[in-house]
Amino acid sequence: MLFRTHFEIFKSIRALLPFVLGAFSLGLVIEVNELMKVFGKVKALDGLSFHVENGEIFGLIGPNGAGKTTALRIVSTLLLPTSGSVKVFNRNVVHEASDVRKIISYLPEEAGAYKNLSGDEYLGFMAKFNTPNKDELKTVVANAAEISGLGKRLKDKVKTYSKGMKRRLLVARALMNKPKLAVLDEPTSGLDVLHAYHVRGIIKQYVREHGVTVLLSSHNMLEVEYLCDRVALINKGKIVAEGTPAELKAKYNVANLEEAFAKVVHLA
Amino acid sequence: MLSGLRNIIAKEVKELIRDPRILLGIVLVPLLMFPLMGFMIRTSQEAAMESMKNLSVAVIDLDNDVFAQNLTDFMEFYGNLKVETLDASSIDEVARDVQDSNVAAVIVIPEDFSENLTNGVRVELKVYGVFRGGGIAEGGAFSAVNSPLQYFEQRLVNQKLGEVWPDPDIVLNPIEISPKSIVKGEPVDVSPDTLFAVAMTQFLGFPLAIMMLIILAMQLAATSVASEKEEKTLETLLSLPISRFTLLMGKLTGSVIVAVLGAVATIVGILYYMGSFAFGASTQMMVDLSAIGLAPGLFGYAVLGLSLFVSLLSALALAVVVSVFAEDVRGAQALLSFAYLPLFIPMLVLMFTDINALPPTLRIVLLAIPFTHPMLAARAMTTGDYFTAIWGIGYVTIFTLAILYVAARIFATEKILTMQLRLRRRKIREE
Ligand SMILES: Nc1ncnc2c1ncn2[C@@H]1O[C@H](COP(=O)(O)OP(=O)(O)OP(=O)(O)O)[C@@H](O)[C@H]1O
Ligand SMILES: [Mg+2]
Repeated sequence: MLFRTHFEIFKSIRALLPFVLGAFSLGLVIEVNELMKVFGKVKALDGLSFHVENGEIFGLIGPNGAGKTTALRIVSTLLLPTSGSVKVFNRNVVHEASDVRKIISYLPEEAGAYKNLSGDEYLGFMAKFNTPNKDELKTVVANAAEISGLGKRLKDKVKTYSKGMKRRLLVARALMNKPKLAVLDEPTSGLDVLHAYHVRGIIKQYVREHGVTVLLSSHNMLEVEYLCDRVALINKGKIVAEGTPAELKAKYNVANLEEAFAKVVHLA
Repeated sequence: MLSGLRNIIAKEVKELIRDPRILLGIVLVPLLMFPLMGFMIRTSQEAAMESMKNLSVAVIDLDNDVFAQNLTDFMEFYGNLKVETLDASSIDEVARDVQDSNVAAVIVIPEDFSENLTNGVRVELKVYGVFRGGGIAEGGAFSAVNSPLQYFEQRLVNQKLGEVWPDPDIVLNPIEISPKSIVKGEPVDVSPDTLFAVAMTQFLGFPLAIMMLIILAMQLAATSVASEKEEKTLETLLSLPISRFTLLMGKLTGSVIVAVLGAVATIVGILYYMGSFAFGASTQMMVDLSAIGLAPGLFGYAVLGLSLFVSLLSALALAVVVSVFAEDVRGAQALLSFAYLPLFIPMLVLMFTDINALPPTLRIVLLAIPFTHPMLAARAMTTGDYFTAIWGIGYVTIFTLAILYVAARIFATEKILTMQLRLRRRKIREE
């Protein structure tokens, strides 16, 4: 019995070691290097490089078709890079994809939930993959219920939800188990002002209190300015500007990120 | 790994069963359709029987002699018919009235009926069945009128022969044919007709049931993959910490579970339907199969089960591979209909012929189709020729592994995501 617990502790320490080392030695959660992705004739990513530090909220902004979703999908192991490398906590997203999937939580840009399950059932189903323990599972699902703000409606089938309610369920799903890295593709798209505000608050709180690192994309410059520690502006698959929101504003000598965005994209 | 698999299976089954389309099409309709059909057939049968009870015929007697009288009496006592004599000289006079009455038939007994019969001259007896729309009951009524007439004729023949021979029956049927069979090298006391009837239920019934189960499972597997795309749940699912192979297996297992449920519902429905028939033919057909060595043993069932299992798996993997190319459930179903073709061919061919009777090329083609093998295994249960069946299991297993490998590869790469996207993009450009 004693031996077993010791063994388990040893095992979990050994499993965590690379992450701990990866995080502390470099402080890097994501390293993207010269990333290229070609779909047939379309060059979606064209030598993209950036890195995200531990405990940071990093935002990708850029016009439609710039390659934000493609980049987030590659980081989340869903697409394979044509060339270049991506590492998450020092793990290669191609060769160590299953390890990476254990650390991350990905919220797709356009996503649905199983319509014949209730909100509760959906959260329970999703939570079981990361949290096999029954008691912890309850906490995680309760957590998600709070993030979603869906209250009693969680008992209803997903097919009865509005678009925004579905999005709230999915955002809650992505954050509920306090992942080491949350990859959120336009997390608040489709949410009303109050719920978008609520979700932004949660993201901030999770980063501060639970050591979550966030990589997100957004078209809402207000949101980006409020949330992100650092921002990369991408256009046509390349980074055209990078820095804290304040740095970017100073660099382009504008009052807000929106103007910086417009200036950079027009210049390019 | 195992808890992840269980989680996926539970979700698949829940999602599939709660889908009203699937619940309706796979569980409720088969469960209700057959009993409903049985009920309808039974009630109409009962109605027909009821109307048969007080059937009446009309007679136009132009003979007015002893044989005409005999005939009408015979109709009444042996045929259990209400006979009314019409006062008319030809059918034309009464046809209109008869049409509007409830008389089933009109018998016209010609002049000189008795005289001719006595003198050995053939007579013509016109029997007019009254057509009122031609339901099953009407057909039954007409034969109810006909059979006492035939019996009457038989009696006349016997009478005539009896004047010359002491036992007219021997003259009429000097040879008694007694059908028996040889089964697996043993003569048995069962007529081949009966054996064929029994075998038919296996040769027709088993392939049909097997095909239904396979089609059902394929539809479910395709739905379960395609709906992940349609509902945009696939991306999230693929980013979860669970191996893609487990994911695939979870989907396949979920589909099999629901398909089996559907198959059970159908079988229960069919059994109920068969039970609702009033005829006693089934007791006649009850041959003690084990006594004549035709009952499939445990081994036979094991071979069939195994064969069915591997080909089911190959069908499911095939369905998954196919549905990866579709962008939604409807597209997947449409693509899948191409896969039904290799299912129908062996079923149809094997229903009507023995595989060994086919020309070699056709036989090879048939044997190459995995779905042929469970049907052969079903047949082997009666013939005892397990060689092909066991060889087939090996072949289908290899086939299944190959398809599963392809399915797993597709699941493991980005293809499962991009294939659909590319199709959709192409479509938008075309517009
Ligand atoms: N599966 C695919 N097949 C072909 N081309 C694709 C595919 N996915 C993305 N692309 C192309 O790659 C480019 C980048 O697309 P991506 O979805 O990454 O843009 P985005 O920055 O997320 O845009 P948005 O702001 O509209 O979400 C686009 O030109 C798009 O057409
Ligand atoms: Mg996008």
